[in-house]
This record gives sequence, structure tokens and C-alpha cells, in this order.
Amino acid sequence: MSVASSEVHAAANASGPNAETLHKLSALLTLALLIAIFAFGNAAFLSVNNGLTVLLQTSVIGILGIGMTMVIITGGIDLSVGSVLALSGTVTGMLVKAGMPVPAGMAAGIAVGALCGLANGLVITKMRITSFVATLGMMLIARGTALQLTGAAPISQLGEAFGRLGNGALFRMVEKQPNGLSKVIFPGIPYPAIVLLIVAVAAAYLLHRRALGRHIYATGSNEEASRLSGVNVDRTKIAAYVLSGALAGLAGNILMSRLVTAQPNEGVMYELDAIASAVIGGASLMGGVGTISGTMIGAFIIGVLRNGLNMAGVSAFIQQIIIGFVVILAVFVDQLRSRR
Amino acid sequence: MTPLVEMIDIEKHFGGIHAVNGVSLDLYPGEVVGVLGHNGAGKSCLMRILSGAMRPSAGEIRVGGKTAEINSPHDARDFGIETIYQTLALADHLDAPANLFLGRELRTRWGNLDDKRMMEETRRVLARLNPNFRNLGDAVSRLSGGQRQVIAIARAIYFNAKVLIMDEPTAALGPAETAMVGKLIKQLRQEGVGIFLISHDMHDVFDLCDRVVVMNRGHNVGAYRIDEVSKDDVLSLIIKGALPDDWTTRNRERLQ
Repeated sequence: MSVASSEVHAAANASGPNAETLHKLSALLTLALLIAIFAFGNAAFLSVNNGLTVLLQTSVIGILGIGMTMVIITGGIDLSVGSVLALSGTVTGMLVKAGMPVPAGMAAGIAVGALCGLANGLVITKMRITSFVATLGMMLIARGTALQLTGAAPISQLGEAFGRLGNGALFRMVEKQPNGLSKVIFPGIPYPAIVLLIVAVAAAYLLHRRALGRHIYATGSNEEASRLSGVNVDRTKIAAYVLSGALAGLAGNILMSRLVTAQPNEGVMYELDAIASAVIGGASLMGGVGTISGTMIGAFIIGVLRNGLNMAGVSAFIQQIIIGFVVILAVFVDQLRSRR
Repeated sequence: MTPLVEMIDIEKHFGGIHAVNGVSLDLYPGEVVGVLGHNGAGKSCLMRILSGAMRPSAGEIRVGGKTAEINSPHDARDFGIETIYQTLALADHLDAPANLFLGRELRTRWGNLDDKRMMEETRRVLARLNPNFRNLGDAVSRLSGGQRQVIAIARAIYFNAKVLIMDEPTAALGPAETAMVGKLIKQLRQEGVGIFLISHDMHDVFDLCDRVVVMNRGHNVGAYRIDEVSKDDVLSLIIKGALPDDWTTRNRERLQ
């Protein structure tokens, strides 16, 4: 016995006591490296304004990524978030257009997202259809519903209140100048970034301090063992998909609010950015592994890459190619590390 | 004395296949009963029914003399029946405390996970089983087979199991670890725990069991005190479903 345990000790020490921390560190290093490279190429990259732009651009993918991370940890995948985002946003837009107050309309939109997630969860656990197929179906259903409801036309003129969540900012400082014009001293922290922070902290708390979070990890790690241990596996999975759907709804509202237009065509392929964020952040599609902080780093790697390449004048097509390589590289490095 | 558990006329059909065919058995406090048979003889199926992982097609289960409805692993645990599965039902990415308390996590007043207390309790219960156990914070996938087995056993005894079902507890272990599990089984027996031991290892069976129940093609083909039978007798029951022809005469001589 003592021999066996000392061997395990040696093995554990050889590959490092905490592989997850190691992965996160390397991802963080990549992010810092990207920022350094882009800053070197263009001084404007490091400006406060551009920093806030990156925050704003990343918040939608970040929020989707958080929901996606929870689903991926259970061992599943949610391909429907891009479409659910569009459906939630259009439902909110239609309700606001019909005269509903903005907060109520947004709550309803998020509820629609949660309902889509509930449908995903029920199809996966009760009808026993794999998450890939179930959420692929929902992806088509939600997108089709959004297009059908609006006749594929954007809903505009939604009023100033509708645009506040996406365009407003906290601590915005504006100075009235003697000539009557106003000068922006500090553009403020965009509301979407604040929402992202709150969602990230709440999700990390849920995953690490609550029993539901523990069960999410356990389910993805060994579903049969969790069931035999008395974990309600079905309920755990359904909760993850509902959260993912609700967060897609929230992201949809933020995005449409930023555009002050409800666009049924928005969010196509966003699910792939969300998956990429989670995977770059160290989540394993085999389940049981993943963290919110990792996904945040992943989302910012994608955000910084997009922004920096934009500023460097690299075309959107080349950007896709580069991000594709980054995803593959991130997973490859992760595998090298975990191979003993 | 009332038995801890009685299983009466248990049946389990899968379509036309009778996996368990009218089997009855019981278990008394401080007793180790070996449940033996070929693969597919129905022994695992029978034990899964008792542990709540499977529902019987017919039959009755009594716990402490009273009829018990066991519809889920949760129900079984509420009756004090704990199971250690052959596959070591552990979540590989979680550490020892998270596995030990999986499904019944300790929580603080605010409903948060009380990881500190779970760690302390795990340390306490593991110290009793294996004082060398140190890697409590590691994912259990990093641990040896013996250490994983210790966690699985710790999970059962921490919650004061009255009945323990052990499915091939030593199949994945080396000799030293097997000896340790054997010692543990004897210790639990002394504390009055009743144990169903599923095993293919005749040495283990004769070392640890007080009685054996042999299953063959879904039937209970024999239940004997361990001193009534030899290894050959048990093997004959497992393979042929019957005792050797000379058993009656031989046993009469021995008992006289």
C-alpha cells in the first residue's frame, strides 16, 4: 500500500499538482502576449477607448460562453445559443414595440431563452436524444421562429430606453465646455461589461460553492457514478441547459439593445465563438472539466484577436482562419499537457 | 433475531429473459454472505435491485422486518443500504471529499458547500481505513486502485451503513490492497454490519464469508454455511447448478 501511494505521489508531482491552474496560466500568458503584440503594432490599441470597445464586443460572447461552459462541463453541447439569442432579442423587440415597458419586455425575452433551454434539457434527458442533435434542432427551430415572427425584417425605432442596456455606461464623465460643446473625460464602463462581470461571478459561485455546481461537474465526470450516488442527473443537466438558454436570452437583449434594433438574423455562428471560448479556456468536450475564469480568458483572447486584427486592417476572412488555428492549437497544447 | 434484509421471491425479466427467477435470501447483523455465480447468473442483477439501481419485476424486500419500497439508490441509502460497485462509482475529476459526499454534500447555514468540513470528515474517516492516505485534494483519477477502493468503502461506512453490498471489491487490487480490504470487511462485520460479497475469488470467499448463496441461470441453487461446503462443492454449484453427487454422504461423515 505504501509503495503504491508513494508512486502516485511521484506521478502527481511530476505532472504538477494542479493542471487546471497551469492551463489557465498559459492561456493568460497568450492573452498578454497578444495584447503586447497588438500594442506594439498600433499605439491606439492600448487606449482607454479601445479597451472599452473590446470589453463591449467581448461581453456578448462572454455571456454565451459562460452558459456554454456549464453545459460542456456536464458533458453536453449547446448549438442553439446563437439562434436563441436572436429569438429572445426579437421577442423583446416585438413586445417593446407593442408598448410593453422595456424591463418587462427584456425579462420576457430572457424567459423565452430559458424556455428554449428547458426544451433542450427535456429533449436530452427524457427523450434521450444526444445534446448535439437536440440543440441542433433547437438551433433551427429558434432561428426559424425568429424569422417567421418578424417576416425576416428588423424591428427598429424601439426608443431610447431600449438602447440603454447596450449603449449606456457607468461612471461616464462629461464636462460642459464654455463653447457649449461637451467633452467626454471618461467614457464610463459599458453596462454590458458590468453585466458580464456579474454573470461571471454568479456562475463561478454556482459552480464552486453550490451543490448544483458540484453535481454539474460530477455528471460530466461520470454520469453513471453520479446517478448511483443519488445525484439527480436529469435535473442537473436540465438546469445547465436552462441557464445556457437564459444567458443566451440575456446576451440577445444586450446585443439588440446595442443596435437599438431587433434583428432576427443576428447571432449566426455565435455558438461556435462561445464553444471556442470555453475550449480555449480549458473546458473539455468530454465533460467534467472547465472553469468560468478560463472561459473568460478564452472569450477575451477571441475578442482581443478580432479587435487587434481589425485595427491592423486584416480582413474578416483571414480573422476566421486565424481563430480557427488558435482553437486547434489551444486544444493541442492542452492535450500535450494532460498526456502523461 | 430479525434479519437486516430479506429479499423474498424476487423476479426480474427483461422481455422474455428471466435474469432473476424467484430468488429469496436474507442477511443478519454481523454476517458476510457471499453471493456467487457465473457472469450472467443474475447475482449482480439481484444486488442492483437491492441497491435501488434496478426495480424488480416482482417480489418483496424487507428491511428490519418491514416491507421496504426501494425505487432509487437514494431510497436504498435511506434504509442504510450502501453499495460499492465493481466499477468504483467515482467521479474521476473530483477529489476524495467531493466523491465521498457526492449526492449528500454538507452545507453551511447559507446552503453553500461546506468544503472545509467535508475535507475534515474525509480525513477522519480515511485515517481509520488507511493512515497513509495523503492526496485528499487530488482528483481521484490520479489515485491508485487501492486508494480509490478505500474512498468507495469510506463513502459507505461514513454514512453508517447497516447493509453493505460489495461487488468484486478486490478485483482491481494488488495483494497488499486485497489484504487491507479483507481486514476492513472483518472489522465491519465485528461492528455488526451485514455484508453481501460478490466475488469470484474462492480464497476471499472462504476467508471472509459466513454463508454462501450460489446462483445459476437466475435461480438460487444453494445456500450453505461456509463450513458445510468445500471449494469443490461451491465450484460445482456455480458450474453445474448442483452439488457433487457424493456431497450428502461425504458431508454426513464429516458432520458426525
